[in-house]
Amino acid sequence: MKRITIDPITRLEGHGKIEIFLKDDGGVGNVYFQVPELRGFEQFCVGRPVEELSQIVTKICGVCPGCHHMSSGKAADAVYGVTPPPTARKLRELFYMAHYVHSHIAHFYALAAPDFVVGPTADPAVRNILGVIEKVGIPIGAEVIKQRRLAQEIQALLGGHQTHVVMNVPGGVRKGLTPEQRDSIVKTSEGFVDFAKFSMNLFKDVVLGNKDYVNIILNGPYSLKIHSMGLVDENNHVNFYDGKVRVVDTEGQELFKYAPHEYLNYVAEHVEPWSYLKFPYLKTKGWKGFVEGKDSGVYHATPLSRLNAADGMATPVAQQEYEFMYKTLGGKPVHNTLAMHWARLVELIYSAEHCLELAKDPEIIGTDLRAPLDKIPTEGVGIVEAQRGTLTHHYWTDPKGIVTKANIIVGTTNNHAPICMSIKKTAEGLIKKDTKITEGILNMVEMSFRAYDPCFSCATHSLPGQMRMELVIKDSQGKIIRSVKRK
Amino acid sequence: MVHSVLVLGIGNDILTDDGIGPRIIHQLEKEAFPSPVALKTATVGGLDILEMITGYREVVFVDAIKTRDGVPGTVYHLTPDNFRETLHLSNLHDINFLNAIELGRKLHFDIPETIHILAVEIVEDRVFSESFSPPIRKKFPEIYNEIKNFLTTRLQEID
Repeated sequence: MKRITIDPITRLEGHGKIEIFLKDDGGVGNVYFQVPELRGFEQFCVGRPVEELSQIVTKICGVCPGCHHMSSGKAADAVYGVTPPPTARKLRELFYMAHYVHSHIAHFYALAAPDFVVGPTADPAVRNILGVIEKVGIPIGAEVIKQRRLAQEIQALLGGHQTHVVMNVPGGVRKGLTPEQRDSIVKTSEGFVDFAKFSMNLFKDVVLGNKDYVNIILNGPYSLKIHSMGLVDENNHVNFYDGKVRVVDTEGQELFKYAPHEYLNYVAEHVEPWSYLKFPYLKTKGWKGFVEGKDSGVYHATPLSRLNAADGMATPVAQQEYEFMYKTLGGKPVHNTLAMHWARLVELIYSAEHCLELAKDPEIIGTDLRAPLDKIPTEGVGIVEAQRGTLTHHYWTDPKGIVTKANIIVGTTNNHAPICMSIKKTAEGLIKKDTKITEGILNMVEMSFRAYDPCFSCATHSLPGQMRMELVIKDSQGKIIRSVKRK
Repeated sequence: MVHSVLVLGIGNDILTDDGIGPRIIHQLEKEAFPSPVALKTATVGGLDILEMITGYREVVFVDAIKTRDGVPGTVYHLTPDNFRETLHLSNLHDINFLNAIELGRKLHFDIPETIHILAVEIVEDRVFSESFSPPIRKKFPEIYNEIKNFLTTRLQEID
């Protein structure tokens, strides 16, 4: 059996390795997606006051610190059995919408657009954000940077720091908004809405206006028929901050809906000997392996699954775009992996619209910021939708609020099995007997997991940090017989 | 006085040796330098870095690195040219810092003219801990002095 390895050969951080094992006839035999796992965080939490964790967890991940902060803050609320006052809840949600705006803008323009605006098989020298700006123009590039920065500034204003957030305390938040600050956020949020609509129109023009791209999305090897998970509000509309976790099956029928504290009744984790990272699955279905279909236990937690699992969006323009997406793609649920980029833009519009709604809400400048803590702390679960999937923090404490145990299921972990399956299916679709393995093929394999916006590590600072890729073909003795390097 | 030089320590200070950059910065905050220096820390690269370095004349990154067969504690002095061959590669979550710099220049940001990268060879960056690994802990004074001496010399040259 021959072996292909796509491996970051420098460092730094936890980027993955894709190994494609070819059969003797040249077709794909098996595919493994392996990631280095950071270890010991749960143990790191033990012995610390539970109210400190929401600050510490922002250091788990430099990519989505706000998500960990929110999930952890909600878990600490639950530990103390306290509900934050309306103003505190709305301030948290306002922060979180800004977090979504900045993250989804970055993903679309820096990670998704190069494949579509520049082209999936384009020269890698231009298939990046610089190539995107060459195509769309410098003023749009400047707007991307500006809108992202403004979203960061809202987070810094509300959270104390854009990365090391210190906003949440059990039962509420540390500080409120002045009317002047609120007015500024209203103005900024109006700009978010305009830019989100612009980004959607850009997607429609560039992607939906290109028959080849539409063909790749609809008919390429980028499809996975699995269950969909997402947080929904009381109307079954998409919600990132609060609600119940709803799961629909491959046909779109609701399987169940659970409150955060019930998650262990519905989600379990499978272990494979070749990966340190676990594979969550639906407990009610059981682990049936890396298989698609109604009986499989595999689900995904992504922008697309969130839309699949919901009945709609809670804001008007996002709802219109939601309806248009499903109408265009043939109804719900959608299983086309690359449609995650489209769903992400629907979410971007929702985040921007909801940011504006919250900023305009009279209660946002209220002064009742924290509910009193009058119960003995015990145990609590907090769930939010991280950009990369449903994020669960579960803490146990002693009566003094000192953490005795912690369990965290991060967003991307939900998608571990789907990512492995998507990569395999894509590789099988693209690499046949006598296929010349080009840089373009390599990138198109990568596109299948890039759609998930995966986040496997926390130390994502990068010097050099680039995902340098090398594709190596080895024979059954491990001897390299061919290699393809990205230049 | 306007700071013309930024020293930016990058890393996660609860991830064993990964926090070498921020730890160096915190130690440097106790020193007196011959000319104004801004000392900052960050956990991520990409577009965040672009915004942090804009407006400075010169920037010195202090970061961790792992190379094949590298000796723990070795400090490499690199410049962007050392990474030229990887300039156009992609990053999973964000653009790499060289792309960020090129993007900044394309968008007419006030990007530093001179960029130094002081990369420290580390041992462990996968385990959560507020302490360094034994080899880095032992060599920390040596690493710190090497970086401090580089900065002192560089700042005298600028003056």
